Amino acid sequence: MPYILGTNFLETQFVKSALESFYGVGPKVSQRLMARYYIHPTAKIGALKQQQIMAIQEDLSNMTIGNDARRILKDTIMRLKEMGTYRGRRHALNLPVRGQNTRSQIVTARKHNRIVDRTHG
Amino acid sequence: MPPLPGPRWALRTSLDAFHSQWLLNSSLAVPAAQKSAFSTTSLLSARAAATAPPPKPRRQENTPVKGVRKTYSVKKARKVSTAKPPGPGERKAMRKRIILSNTNALEVQGLKKLEKEMFAGGKELKELSGKMMGLEDNTIDQLKAVQAFQPRQGWKMFRWPSVLMRKEAVDVGHALQNAENNKTSFRRVLVGDKHSGKSVLMLQAQAMAFLKGWVVIPIPDAQELTVAHTAYAPLPESDPPIYVQKNYTAELLTKISNANQAILSTMVLSQQHKLPIPVQNNISLDRFASLGARDPELAYPFFIALWKELTMPSQEGDGMQRRPVMLALDNLQHVMRPSEYLDPDLNKIHAHDLALVKHFMDHLCGSKPLPNGGAVLAALSESNRLKTKELDYLIKRNEALAAGPLMPEQTMPLWSPFAKMDEKIEASMADVEILRLKGLSREEARSIMEYWALSGLLRQKVTEAFVGEKWTLAGGGNLGEMEKAAVGMRV
Repeated sequence: MPYILGTNFLETQFVKSALESFYGVGPKVSQRLMARYYIHPTAKIGALKQQQIMAIQEDLSNMTIGNDARRILKDTIMRLKEMGTYRGRRHALNLPVRGQNTRSQIVTARKHNRIVDRTHG
Repeated sequence: MPPLPGPRWALRTSLDAFHSQWLLNSSLAVPAAQKSAFSTTSLLSARAAATAPPPKPRRQENTPVKGVRKTYSVKKARKVSTAKPPGPGERKAMRKRIILSNTNALEVQGLKKLEKEMFAGGKELKELSGKMMGLEDNTIDQLKAVQAFQPRQGWKMFRWPSVLMRKEAVDVGHALQNAENNKTSFRRVLVGDKHSGKSVLMLQAQAMAFLKGWVVIPIPDAQELTVAHTAYAPLPESDPPIYVQKNYTAELLTKISNANQAILSTMVLSQQHKLPIPVQNNISLDRFASLGARDPELAYPFFIALWKELTMPSQEGDGMQRRPVMLALDNLQHVMRPSEYLDPDLNKIHAHDLALVKHFMDHLCGSKPLPNGGAVLAALSESNRLKTKELDYLIKRNEALAAGPLMPEQTMPLWSPFAKMDEKIEASMADVEILRLKGLSREEARSIMEYWALSGLLRQKVTEAFVGEKWTLAGGGNLGEMEKAAVGMRV
């Protein structure tokens, strides 16, 4: 059960999914990380060498992920709000920020446009 | 009964209306002042309004209420399956399962088997032309080990795996004999329509190689090398980088060791190799291969050492003897393009930069010789077809070159001046001949239909007319189509 950044992963888990479990690591970042250490897309955690795990861990620790990335997002939204921008207002109201119609479907906006995004945390 | 519209009903309603009007107008009606004994002042109601809590703001229509769905939805009852889910790898095993015998099919009396002795000289082989031949037990085991049988090939319908020695198969047999005698390499790319028998011809070539005591090194599905499903890493100190697939190499060594055990066990290690672990000096090559297969980290150095051993020139007399080698690869298109593997700059790694593919291609194009003779065969796949325009062009070009001088009305195939040619692919196909499989001849078609009839799978009488009909329906004797039309379909 290897540890990566303090999280314990099952050996049978895909490396890709393990990496993407960190907030701020998506398909592009995980692909780049895996290509850097010659890990193929269907590799499992158990197949990694200790050296590769250490290298990935070091890379991840130098990246803005997890709570740091969340804080940046939150600060950006707060900044918009405090400046009194339209986008800030829309965030504060849990409404779509980028000009979408609000007549019928804004469920996703209600989830994600909050000042504190509860779906990612 | 509902009241019928008519004079009586009309009279009744008009009477009711008159009665109520009369009550209102007559002195019998109660005056307004006497209706109640008290009256409500405006002061009281004003006081009540002042002391009442402020009215709740009315909920706006768009604001959602927690826990209340806006849309109508009925939750379906979840179906609970009591069946046991398939274990890891079970479904793939089912998909790839090879069935080589059908006990319901009749045993074909007098079916001869392909034997070692048939390949001693060219004469016996010629006599086999157009005949159905069964495969020996040992050969079947060896072919299974190299994964030459494929589930889609219809082996499961017959009592015993048998092959038709079509003209091309006999020609390949002769060519293998020549390659062994002259210590040259027989290099061909097998092409042809879908279901024309490319993979089965490859199987026949491997069967003949096993019978002749050759060493067969198989890549049964080139797709497995390039779809990025197996581990890869650059070979240290290789520039430009060559990528090693250690797990696949270990599997390959297992296949080599299992399939060629009989012949490899007669050979022993003759040289010192740079290996990560110490190895006994006179270890037999089959044990050497299985030792390398045990640990993926060891696999590639062991594979290279094994190849060096196999391609050591045989010595005269009682000296070290080595046998010819056959390299066989199916689904060639998949290795004639960039693979799905990525390098650190996120560029796709070209399939020819993968060590095993490169090894095969070096021998296919003839840049590396086979000192003891041998064959390098690659087959295209039309069922799992990838569009590789370079390969398609190079096949046409090589065919045109091999056909000799052009007739006046013919033109040489030309590569598009607007497209870039992949140099690696061009180099690998520079000097390879193409073996194009066309339909069977009528005689061959008749021979195989008689075999189907004797197996009890074809109920009709095999006459000239019947053979001709099926031959024509199958687009001029396409073997797979004929089998579909005659055996697969029941009328």
